[in-house]
Amino acid sequence: MTMWATLVVFRKEMRDHLRDRRSILVAMIYPLMGPLLLGLMFFFVGGSMRVNEVAALVVPVVNPESAPDLIHFFESRGVEMRPVRRNYWNAVSGGRIAFALVLPVHPEAGEDTPLAVRLVANPARFDSIVATGRVVDMLNQYQHETARSRLQTAGLSAGLLDVLTITQENVGTAVGPAVILLTMIPPFLIFTLFTGGVHVALDSTCGERERGSFEPLMMNPVTRNQVLAGKLGATVVFTLMALAVQVVAFWVMLHSVPEESLGLVAPPSALRLAIVVSVCLPLVFLASAMQMLISAVTRSMKEAQTYLGLLPLVPGLAGMVLALAPVTARPALAAIPTFGQTLLMGQLVRSEFVSLGFIGITAVATLLTTALLLVLSFWLYEREAVLFPQ
Amino acid sequence: MIEVRNLAKSFGDLRVVDDVSFIARDGEVTGLIGPNGAGKTTMFRLICTVLRPDRGVTLIDGIDSQRDPLAARRRIGVLPDVRGLYTRLTAREHLRYFGELHGIPRGELEARIDELVTTLRMEDFIDRRARGFSRGQQMKVALGRALVHRPHNVMLDEPTNGLDVATSRAVRDLLRQLRAEGRCILLTSHIMQEVGVLADRIVILAGGQIVLEGTPAELRRRTGLHDLEEIFMAATQQAAREPDLAAGQ
Repeated sequence: MTMWATLVVFRKEMRDHLRDRRSILVAMIYPLMGPLLLGLMFFFVGGSMRVNEVAALVVPVVNPESAPDLIHFFESRGVEMRPVRRNYWNAVSGGRIAFALVLPVHPEAGEDTPLAVRLVANPARFDSIVATGRVVDMLNQYQHETARSRLQTAGLSAGLLDVLTITQENVGTAVGPAVILLTMIPPFLIFTLFTGGVHVALDSTCGERERGSFEPLMMNPVTRNQVLAGKLGATVVFTLMALAVQVVAFWVMLHSVPEESLGLVAPPSALRLAIVVSVCLPLVFLASAMQMLISAVTRSMKEAQTYLGLLPLVPGLAGMVLALAPVTARPALAAIPTFGQTLLMGQLVRSEFVSLGFIGITAVATLLTTALLLVLSFWLYEREAVLFPQ
Repeated sequence: MIEVRNLAKSFGDLRVVDDVSFIARDGEVTGLIGPNGAGKTTMFRLICTVLRPDRGVTLIDGIDSQRDPLAARRRIGVLPDVRGLYTRLTAREHLRYFGELHGIPRGELEARIDELVTTLRMEDFIDRRARGFSRGQQMKVALGRALVHRPHNVMLDEPTNGLDVATSRAVRDLLRQLRAEGRCILLTSHIMQEVGVLADRIVILAGGQIVLEGTPAELRRRTGLHDLEEIFMAATQQAAREPDLAAGQ
């Protein structure tokens, strides 16, 4: 009878909430927002950067007549030099041109005097960043070639210029902006874990109390623990549904973005994402237990909604901080529920090495905390007042 | 049979039920009446074990409801004042849910539901979701829910509250039928006429205490009044004037 009563309550809550638009919206539609947002960033930002890298370069130039050799060098490499007469500063800051190459009006004569070249750019614009990067590369190339030519003219070896040969090898599967975007996935997952089943938890406890259906329910030969366990089960299933929707959406998004968009060399594999889900599992129970606890101590659904609305922000903020200021994964941090998982998930989505011991500590600490919260919730639900509308 | 012995319950400093004892017998309708705030709903909640008494004992067919609340709940069916339906479930799903909580096997449960659909005339809305149900439909679902496990003791809090004449009459007919089957029925109502027509025994509560108890004939003889409403007013007003005497009527 113990398990039977719990199963009956669980089945009723599932049937009830699968018919509830709000429960479905929170569990199945809201989780798509994170992948959609990141996908848009990868598509539009990454797309515009890629287009700029391969498109013909047009360089707005001020005083082109003062450095004909330089202009010829650029033009010989297919670059269109577009003279800008005046107000170049306003043109760049006003967004009419992405940047301007400014040459001096009267360059000083002589080979031993460097040509003062200025690049006026707006680093807030992605097209400006990409284009000025290409112009700086070409200026360096011009400088290098001119210096080699001068050395050869002076009878010296051109090799004198080459002090270092630099080669960078990347062991990661993401570089540049992709790293930051991938690190934003764990906070989205944590947020979903703490919101996916929230409506089910609230409606089946506070809502049931407000509608006056808790009292007749408890007139049946069932204990409060059995009833709560059934409601907890439904909350856990809805949270899992939300998690599954979001993980699948992230997987689809990461495999649909333009190749090497924003530096994403290889998206996390399905196996990696499966491990991410397994790392999240203890948090599913923790989030559901917290929701049950809050519904036990609040007097109305509105009051509970106020607290539960803030709840995901706490672990979510930790994740956002980690996204911007990475922390080394240490065992002591693993024992902090949500923080440990955020660290782990960050490593997983960036395809870094993860320690099994760290995963174990995180899971055990979170499940212990969950058990404590559940004991407290079940104890609070034994109070008489919890059955009646306040 | 429901036997209440020296039941007492307080909320903070407020004593809501104060040393109440009575018996609701099998094959009888016992009417529990009293003015607002008399403690009727609290009495109901104490008997059906959703509240714990500070003192006293409730026996449901001889089972101490404090010692074995689940066994006691198997013996009672309750129609609370607030019907508390699930708007996204159909009437049939309500009956099935409560029947399953009582552990009734599936085949037997479906047969009982069909029986209740006929008895309570629920054919028109049995497979409709409860959102938008009329008060009469809500009451029928809640009553079906209370009877689905065929309880020997039936408790009804304001069963005809807000119902039209025809539905009220149908409820009264059902209660007579249950009484004829030998079940113990305990009901509260504000409608004195209804209590007068149905109740074999009347318990009048005021200020958390029993101020008058007996068969309608006994109450008339004791008070010298004929009309139940007059009897009720006399008993409760006397209790209000002389609260200390109320307990020892």
